[in-house]
Amino acid sequence: MNFVRHAFLVAVGALIALACPGILLAQGVDEQMLLHPPADSWPGYHGDYSGRRHSALNQITPQNVATLTLAWAFQTNQTAPIKSSPLLVDGIVYFTVPDNIWAVDARSGHQIWHYNKPTSQGEHIGNRGVGMYKGYLFFLAPDAHLVSLNAKNGTVRWSVEVADVTKGYWTSMAPLVVGNHVLVGVSGDFDNLSGYIRSIDPETGATQWQWNSTPPAGTPNQTTGGMTWMPGTYDPDLNLVYWGTGNPTPVLNGSTRPGDDLYTCSVVALNPDTGKLVWSFQVSPHDTHDWDAVETPVLVDGDFHGEPKKMLMQSSRNGYFFVLDRTNGKSLLTVPYGPVNWALGVDAQGRPIPNAAKEPAPDGRLIAPDEGGMTNYRSPSFDGRNGLFIVDAHPSWSLYFAKPADGVYGWAGADYDVWGKGVIEAIDYQTGKIRWSHELGPESGAGVLTTDSGLTFTGDGMGNFLALDSSDGKTLWHAGSGSHIVSSPITYELDGRETLLTSSGSVLFAWTLPQTQ
Amino acid sequence: MNFLRAARHGNVLVAGLWVVSLATAQAPANKPSPSKVEQIAAAAKSYAPEIVQQGKALFRKDCSFCHGRDAGGGETGPDLTRSKLVTADVDGNKIGPVVRNGRPDKGMPPFDRSDQEIASLVAFIHTQQTKALASAGLRGGSGGRKGVDVSDLQTGNAEAGKRYFQGAGGCSTCHSPSGDLAGLASRYQGLELEEQMLYPKHAKQKISVTLASGQAVTGTLAYLDEFTVGLIDSTGSYRSWRTRDVQYKLDSALNAHVEQFPKYTDGDVHNLMAYLQTLR
Repeated sequence: MNFVRHAFLVAVGALIALACPGILLAQGVDEQMLLHPPADSWPGYHGDYSGRRHSALNQITPQNVATLTLAWAFQTNQTAPIKSSPLLVDGIVYFTVPDNIWAVDARSGHQIWHYNKPTSQGEHIGNRGVGMYKGYLFFLAPDAHLVSLNAKNGTVRWSVEVADVTKGYWTSMAPLVVGNHVLVGVSGDFDNLSGYIRSIDPETGATQWQWNSTPPAGTPNQTTGGMTWMPGTYDPDLNLVYWGTGNPTPVLNGSTRPGDDLYTCSVVALNPDTGKLVWSFQVSPHDTHDWDAVETPVLVDGDFHGEPKKMLMQSSRNGYFFVLDRTNGKSLLTVPYGPVNWALGVDAQGRPIPNAAKEPAPDGRLIAPDEGGMTNYRSPSFDGRNGLFIVDAHPSWSLYFAKPADGVYGWAGADYDVWGKGVIEAIDYQTGKIRWSHELGPESGAGVLTTDSGLTFTGDGMGNFLALDSSDGKTLWHAGSGSHIVSSPITYELDGRETLLTSSGSVLFAWTLPQTQ
Repeated sequence: MNFLRAARHGNVLVAGLWVVSLATAQAPANKPSPSKVEQIAAAAKSYAPEIVQQGKALFRKDCSFCHGRDAGGGETGPDLTRSKLVTADVDGNKIGPVVRNGRPDKGMPPFDRSDQEIASLVAFIHTQQTKALASAGLRGGSGGRKGVDVSDLQTGNAEAGKRYFQGAGGCSTCHSPSGDLAGLASRYQGLELEEQMLYPKHAKQKISVTLASGQAVTGTLAYLDEFTVGLIDSTGSYRSWRTRDVQYKLDSALNAHVEQFPKYTDGDVHNLMAYLQTLR
């Protein structure tokens, strides 16, 4: 940008600022923004509450996406890869890695502030991002503390413990803000601990309620686990929060936890004001393969076999695609979306029936999918125009072992990936049939974003960002990123320009169409 | 708790390992051979407890999710106590570079750690390995801990496996027990053999690339995505092209392994394993 033009823009900016002083002041996030995010925002992990990761923006199209160019890149200089989904509020992008938050000018990629508080406790495997309410950010640290910061400068308002890190909990998810509730989940798989969702007062940090997914540790013949690794979704009309729960513990040995192990590997519907369970649907009864059900519960209103339905869809880690009626949790469709060999079929309630012969054993069991699952925390996307649920899938095979000497605490067995690949699958949500698929090479950690213009943004297993045609999966644009992609893209429109935000390794990339002048 | 005991009494532990090596001298080859245990025990230093403790804390923070808190394997990473690299490591000369550079092809990120931090991780990992081997030996080598021992994989029937190899498995279409698989069980044992059997991850794939000029280049596949294809040619040079500029043909023999997955019963896998173990 030359100096004259820069000066002009500064002058115009100053005039706008004089004319409408509010525009440069951080407004933060209010309830309306979360319910109906404007085009120039991405105020929550999924964008809006639905978990569809779909944008109405249509400036970048199948016709012009090949000209997409780099607007800016932001280098964190950290070895921890970016696994978070950024927020965009008031022209500022907020994103994280464990112990770190950055606020970056969405127009320029210039750093506004950086929060860094090293913690020595808790697994530092990743952080999914921040939640926002008014001018406050909410960030979960590895040591299981919820930290609230002022969005304008990154200063800490308060920090509260949400779980006991010394027992084996840690935190990594992005808090979900619903009304005046900051909903947080907990992580942990190495100890026999109960998972839970806790609601925190955004002003004070006080606990409002807690819902436990499993009974207290030590309850005879009962499971532990059901960690709440990922943010859920929310239906404001039904006033229900939908959340996926994690696998039971001990992980690979189910002998001490006979039965279904409720509420592990389940989609649960809770009242966000009380934390009361309204319904639940278990996608993996008595799991013994570490297939949590924390993949995004995607909310879609639309036609299902000729009837209008309020649906919830999940491409679950266990290899099955589920469509539920989200008013009551009843099954509409259960169908595998890749090789699965661990179930005897599907029961009358639409739940897969686990095959006891496929539980981990001393001499090994050949299992599909592998422990990483048919998909994982990366986001899928729902494209209503094409009626497609689009997911970064991982057809795979593995060996599972467990023997008495492995014990009944924590992992309690061992498993080994044998083979797998990455493929984007576009699933017809009414039938479960895969309408198109796009091979990615090795497994990719990239999530999926779709837009109204008919584009699917994702990444392959070698670190290429991809734009695909949502109607047939053909590649329309790519850019090599130089590192692995383990995050989900977002998009927004600022100053009339649609921007695609992706990350790989330690770098955040902003892509736009070329400036025409 | 065991860990603390082991760390505090490192010398006792090493002495214990020597006893183990003697006790297992008559044991079948399906557990750490005396020489291997001796080798590791000899290399096993008595690390200062505070260094091991520091390494343990660091390991918990950065490594344990994938490799397990006890370094015995976790969500995606291998069991480090059975790692050949760890066994071969001396004072971090092998472990250090892996920590600092990561293994991007296997999904392991690099970690920027000081020499002192690396030293503490190395101390912890070696201590865990020593402890794990001691524990396996003291329990008679019958798999007395998490992980897979050769002895765990002996439930199959070699005769049935041979029939499967020649018949339903279709293995003999590409493989021969007196040809490419001769001596296989001497090269691989236990879990590694079973993994190789199901899918030889590291097998080199032949590829032929035809350039726009019509010239054909053949070699070993070195890189492939949607946009770029790379190979090592007969001179040992790396060559790559944009896929849109060339045509390429990949030897698809490995696909037969993928197509076989849904056809196996667990019995087939165990029988085939039993048969392959006879190919010494």
